[in-house]
Amino acid sequence: MTAAPLLQVRSISKRFGGVQAVSDLSFELRRGEILGLLGPNGAGKTTAFNMVAGAIAPDTGEIVFEGQPITGLRPAQICRRGIGRTFQLSKPFGSLSVLENVMVGGFARSRDRRAIRREAEAILDFLGMGELAHADANDVTAFDRRKLELGRALATQPKLLLMDEVVAGATPSEAQEMVGLVRRVRERGVTILIVEHVMKVIMGLSDRVIVLDYGKLIADGVPAEVVAQPDVLKAYFGERYAGARA
Amino acid sequence: MQSPRQSRLGAAILLAVAVLAVLLPWIVQDSYFIHTVIMVLYFAYMATAWNFVCGYVGQLSLGHSVFSGVAGYVTVLLFIQTGLSPWLGMLAGGAVAALLAVAIGFPTFRLKGPYFTLTTIAFAEILRIWFENTDTFLGIPLKGAEGLVVPLIGDSWAAFQFNGKTAYYYIVLAMLALAMAATAWMERSRLGYYLKAIRGDSDAAESLGVSPTRYSLIALCISAFMTGIGGAFFAQFFRYINPERNMGIDLSIDMAVMAIVGGQGTVFGPALGALLLHPVAEVMRSWFGGGVLGLHLVVYGVVLILAVTYLPKGIIDPLSRLIGRGRKRKEQP
Repeated sequence: MTAAPLLQVRSISKRFGGVQAVSDLSFELRRGEILGLLGPNGAGKTTAFNMVAGAIAPDTGEIVFEGQPITGLRPAQICRRGIGRTFQLSKPFGSLSVLENVMVGGFARSRDRRAIRREAEAILDFLGMGELAHADANDVTAFDRRKLELGRALATQPKLLLMDEVVAGATPSEAQEMVGLVRRVRERGVTILIVEHVMKVIMGLSDRVIVLDYGKLIADGVPAEVVAQPDVLKAYFGERYAGARA
Repeated sequence: MQSPRQSRLGAAILLAVAVLAVLLPWIVQDSYFIHTVIMVLYFAYMATAWNFVCGYVGQLSLGHSVFSGVAGYVTVLLFIQTGLSPWLGMLAGGAVAALLAVAIGFPTFRLKGPYFTLTTIAFAEILRIWFENTDTFLGIPLKGAEGLVVPLIGDSWAAFQFNGKTAYYYIVLAMLALAMAATAWMERSRLGYYLKAIRGDSDAAESLGVSPTRYSLIALCISAFMTGIGGAFFAQFFRYINPERNMGIDLSIDMAVMAIVGGQGTVFGPALGALLLHPVAEVMRSWFGGGVLGLHLVVYGVVLILAVTYLPKGIIDPLSRLIGRGRKRKEQP
């Protein structure tokens, strides 16, 4: 017997004016897995991501988390249900220190400031940012900001973490560090949905990938198999490349 | 981390200022001087009340005078019509201001930047114009632009009327101390973290379980309540209230400019701003008399431009660095 999926997305669609950004998309996330969401530019990845996070309400369809419908809930309510997210472009909360930034996330779960502070310190150690705890959040490097954002999301104690383009703009060694962190987050029992452009990263990290093209799901499976599918090759490299390979 | 020596220095300065403030009426007895100091404290209090929401959430309200005016009218009218003590009346007035804050804040906090500011001005001006042009409302005389005089009772605690200015001085001093304590408490509470998060990045805050509208509104209600209490004090101090002085846009601008110049989003900044700017306005008025109306606003404008250009975090910023308190102060367990 298999456990019920953590997240079920049932035929969600979203139209912006004349553009059908996502059409009739369904997929599932099992507890403890890392699912990669792939697709060329404009495929609707970010729209799909934002619908799960509550930033955009779908026109039709249903999103179910832990057996409860969460369709149309506001991001703050989604967070309280146990879904955390990171942003592609992140701004730290400037008038707070690095530690205090992480504490903001902690207040979603508790009102005990001391406990929140201890938890936030533990998260910063986990991220290897303990030294920076009292730095002004505006003064840290771009990559540390990215880790800080992950820390803020972790402080809300998510069961599901949605990660948007985590290695964008990172150096290869930073990207490697981030990949390691994502794996260790999963070891803490967090299920992860990751949107990523860098193929190498997502192939090495994901247990399973799904591929969007023009808002539609065109593939779902283990990374090595999915990248060999003609539809996927066509979406990424064009008709002729896929034809030549076949 | 701040050194213990620095934090002791900060505490010593605070204590010295507090002792000086408490003893001031014994040291200087000149009535005009005490009057001016009361006005400085009043503006310090009002700027602190404005800062409670605007300084932390990073939205510029230029309509806060509406809370002062409405609460002042509630206090004065309850006293005239029912004889209710202004001490209770001002609480009722503050409560009405807080309710009004929900009505105004709910639609306007969805707006950002200049749109928010313009809407707050519009709300305040509409109510001011309504008060100025309404002689009676539901049979209650408001006397329009002429305003209402608080009937003279004589020296009486219950009626909030005192011979001499010393009592008013201590009342407004206590109000300022309470408002600052409330701000310091808020900074360390969940509300303070949330407001700063909303100011930093509203979308990111929302993804961390913060409802920006909800927490902005909570802070606005508290700020409106405090502003209302200030408006009631102002009416009691002059035993007179009219729409222009109690709810005009000049008051809103004073509150905002003093807080911004002094240092918004800090506990002591707004009071510092009032301490520096109100005397300047007073001096302008006494030098030029009624000759050049609004000259103090010109000075405000210049000071604001200088402060925003050279000290964007307010005058408090370099001072707090110097004594190692304020903004740079680290979270204590």
